[in-house]
Amino acid sequence: MLSDPPPLLEIQGLAIAAGDVPLQRDLNLTLEPGDLLAITGPSGCGKTTLLRTIATLQPALEGTIRLRGRTPEEWGWTAFRRAATLVTQRPTLLDLTVDENLRRPFGYHIASTPYPEQRARDLMDELAVGAERLTQAARTLSVGQQQRVCLIRALLMNPIVLCLDEPTSALDPDAVGLVERLIRRLALENGLAALVVTHDPRLAAEWRPRQFVMPRAHGTREEAA
Amino acid sequence: MTDTVQHLSLLQILIATSLVVFSAIVSVFFGLKLEKQLGIAALRTIGQLFLVGYILKYVFTVHHPALVLLLIVIMVAFAAHASVSRAKRRYARVQLDAFLTLTASSIVTGFIVTGVIIQIHPWYRAQYVIPLIGMILGNSLTGISIALDQLLGDLSDRRDTIEMELAHGASAWEAARGPLADAVRRGMIPTINSMVVVGIVSLPGMMTGQILAGSDPLEAVKYQIVVMFMLAAATALGCMMITLLAYRRLFNAAQQLEEGKILRS
Repeated sequence: MLSDPPPLLEIQGLAIAAGDVPLQRDLNLTLEPGDLLAITGPSGCGKTTLLRTIATLQPALEGTIRLRGRTPEEWGWTAFRRAATLVTQRPTLLDLTVDENLRRPFGYHIASTPYPEQRARDLMDELAVGAERLTQAARTLSVGQQQRVCLIRALLMNPIVLCLDEPTSALDPDAVGLVERLIRRLALENGLAALVVTHDPRLAAEWRPRQFVMPRAHGTREEAA
Repeated sequence: MTDTVQHLSLLQILIATSLVVFSAIVSVFFGLKLEKQLGIAALRTIGQLFLVGYILKYVFTVHHPALVLLLIVIMVAFAAHASVSRAKRRYARVQLDAFLTLTASSIVTGFIVTGVIIQIHPWYRAQYVIPLIGMILGNSLTGISIALDQLLGDLSDRRDTIEMELAHGASAWEAARGPLADAVRRGMIPTINSMVVVGIVSLPGMMTGQILAGSDPLEAVKYQIVVMFMLAAATALGCMMITLLAYRRLFNAAQQLEEGKILRS
């Protein structure tokens, strides 16, 4: 008899902290392929910290994170982070051209595939940054363009789960629509799952994702249906 | 040529003190309020140098390896403390790391110079070992202090960039390589600069001392070349080791940057 495959992402009894300050305890959630989950809650409740913890950039106080049934230790830390990638709210680009920034993750030891040049050009066009800007110094782009370049850099690695922290905070309504359509398409076609911290009602209204409402710090709340 | 050494009397040293008095007069004249600091600094100079002079004289006379080793350990401990206290940032056990680094750089380069190049027998001849270790420590601690400052500042200031690289699958080493290299480079710069200008802009203290003590200038130059290369090696080794030790302390087994461990001094 075959057992059911494990959830794409499964978080059980997770406790998170910012430095020495505990924020949340006993967080539980699961994501299946194609799921979009909006994480909302009051300021300071630990939404960004939750994403950072899932992306294993900081340790959890307790609890487990499993991606396709395996812990980060079983994946290997670098492989896990490539599969569950975080895109931060503030765009972080190196003082290089856009193209060099996009290629950067393909120079790491863990990278096993070549840089998908054509896909990069297509995504630059699809998100209205424009492939012609690939040779431009990344830090001379507008903040909104930089935010989209950061998203493209993450997508080029074909993550299984995308952790997006306020991905549309610097975007105009048209660009929000483009990002939303792209993520939804990838969710449908490739089974990409996304966790999105957002205060943007436009995004929540368009995506109609499942909601994960976090209480104020130090509380506990199960995932909303 | 050693018979040309000009011995200084206490009176002559007292006359030299008048030069400090002149500095104090300048301070009073311009209202710099440095007189007290100058006085304390001058007294410390006299006190510390006489103290070390008597200690060295005792160590030279007793001529025992244990005593030489004890003196070296004390010098390394003071240098470790000085290198850390100069840095703007620190982390727990940084003093231990500085001590280990300075011990390693002094032993490795000190042994190569005294054992292989100058070939001192026995190895603990204090008149060679102590001044050479002193010079190694003096230069290494400056390099270590600069490298540490640069690295800890970079890891704090460039945390976003480092974590972005980690988030995209970089190993801790790949993400930290830039700041580590910058730190070693910054720590090495003063030593490289001093090698570039030596003899043109400045005559090094040791060479000047040897010449004043009556040595043949060319003999002093040969020693100085060995010393400069020794200092370059010691500083390179020291900067490299302290940055690697700091890297091991600040990145954990999960390849996460523990930036919270970096504290402001």
